[in-house]
Amino acid sequence: MATRVGPEVAVPARSSAAVRRLRWTPVLMVLPAVAVLLAITVFPLLYTLRLTVVSWELTTGFPPAFVGLQNFVRVFGDPRFGNAMKNTGLLVLVGVGAQTVLGTALALELNQLRRARTTVLSLLLIPVMIAPVIAGFQFRMIYNDQFGPLNYLLDLLTHGAVRGAAWLADPRIALWAVMATDVWQWTPFMTLVVLAGLQAIPGELLEAAEVDGAAGPQAVWHVVLPLLLPVIVVGVLVRVMDTFKLFDIVYQLTAGGPGSVTETIAFYTYLQGFKFFSLGYTSAMAFIQLAVITVVAQVFLRYQRRVRAGIAA
Amino acid sequence: MRRRPLARRLLSAAVLGAALVVFLFPVVWMLLTSFKTNAEFFSYPPVLIPKSFALTNYLNAMRMPPDGRGGIQGVRDSLIVSLSSMAVSVLVGAPAAYSFARFRPGGEHLSFWVLSTRMFPPVASALPLFLVFRFLHLLDTYWALIAANTIFNLPFVIWLLKGFFEDLPVELEEAAVIDGTTVFGAFRRVALPLVAPGVVVTALFSFIFTWNEFMFALLFTRSDVRTLTIIVPSLVGGHEILWGQIAAVGVVAIIPNVVLALLLQRFLVRGLTLGAVKG
Repeated sequence: MATRVGPEVAVPARSSAAVRRLRWTPVLMVLPAVAVLLAITVFPLLYTLRLTVVSWELTTGFPPAFVGLQNFVRVFGDPRFGNAMKNTGLLVLVGVGAQTVLGTALALELNQLRRARTTVLSLLLIPVMIAPVIAGFQFRMIYNDQFGPLNYLLDLLTHGAVRGAAWLADPRIALWAVMATDVWQWTPFMTLVVLAGLQAIPGELLEAAEVDGAAGPQAVWHVVLPLLLPVIVVGVLVRVMDTFKLFDIVYQLTAGGPGSVTETIAFYTYLQGFKFFSLGYTSAMAFIQLAVITVVAQVFLRYQRRVRAGIAA
Repeated sequence: MRRRPLARRLLSAAVLGAALVVFLFPVVWMLLTSFKTNAEFFSYPPVLIPKSFALTNYLNAMRMPPDGRGGIQGVRDSLIVSLSSMAVSVLVGAPAAYSFARFRPGGEHLSFWVLSTRMFPPVASALPLFLVFRFLHLLDTYWALIAANTIFNLPFVIWLLKGFFEDLPVELEEAAVIDGTTVFGAFRRVALPLVAPGVVVTALFSFIFTWNEFMFALLFTRSDVRTLTIIVPSLVGGHEILWGQIAAVGVVAIIPNVVLALLLQRFLVRGLTLGAVKG
């Protein structure tokens, strides 16, 4: 999409009143939206910023006290925040990585189908659409160590050789169980995105590759994947931003436990704010997350312009 | 495209078949569980097909407490909050989207800022919003949830609709303006009817986002307002877990999602990537 400058609608050069209306109507049309967004985002933002420099523990009853940058110092010295950071990092790196690889592989398979494609894709997309909390509930039943279908299936397939685990209670497994739920829910999203990219690749390109002797996996690796890269990046960025905020599934599956092995940054911030009522400290953590998300969001916004201008437009 | 060898096609079918089983099993399991008695849930080996498909669990789950699980309150409250936030977002967002698409007021910066509000971590806005709502005595009311959800729906609506408006050829609106219509008239009478399908798609997406929303509902409500996403985890956390009934609430909670997954498929990629990929 070429950058377009200035009003798109031709100005009928009749009267200066008409011109003035033309200049002001667009502003009036965005004004309510901007006002609403300012009220519900900028105010909380400034309020949070102000809270980051105070110590305000609702549990003690003391009034807020100015502490400077103490809250930020505390964040970086807090092993539990480090742990939450590590867990979130794993969920982003390994979890989103798995969604990308599995989702792309599924899209390549799905792209070979003709009539059944729409139906299969629709069914695959059901996990993407349902509420994460409900997905968490479903996996709570599946992971049930005594009566759940997963441990029964393991027992059945291995004739009892592999003992099922307490998926959500075993500290070595719980984080992976949470990750598997997220991967289950969002892999089809990557499939959807990559499939859209695949359908935008002109058929002649693939035929040309075939003529040049690239066929099957080779053609996929050297011709298709490079063309898909921008679309995949957009999909990954969307998932990175969402995973960074992961809360619902954790709340429903493990509530951060056992201990704090499945605590994500969003979950730990929630605990500090709404269980321990440490308002200044919570605000400092919230602010750090805001900064990280803003950086990723900026990358996404720049990238999305390129993708819209490129193959997926 | 050339037909692939039979062996390759069989492998492909096996892979896609396995994928369908994996991705649908948890949903199907919840559906089956919603018909099970407690004895059937607590049995080993697990019962796959319940003996009876009576709606007992659904009726008990939907009735209000003390004898029911309050599912009907969840349906009511989820509907009220989702529909209201959807209406506000579309009413306020559509003119803004049109203006951004055609006139770029404030340049790229303003429209980028609008979209970036969508990416706010909810947990970061939760605390200040909580304090504001407490101050205004809005906790545990629909207003708090509608306002909080609109933070995320309004920028989404603006951004997605902006894309739909940009896809429209500008000539029709130009003609209307030359004929003496105002800019707002060109929007309301020419552009808006032409993107009506886009408006419907955008509205449905915004509905689903609120319908699925959990954190704000958890933090800003207690007993007067209880959405479906709150009721399910609160029942799992209860002292006596009636899995069949909770599953029944879960099934009711995903009905709109499943319907829209099937209906919206053509637009899903656009909605879920904030318009970045058009599909």
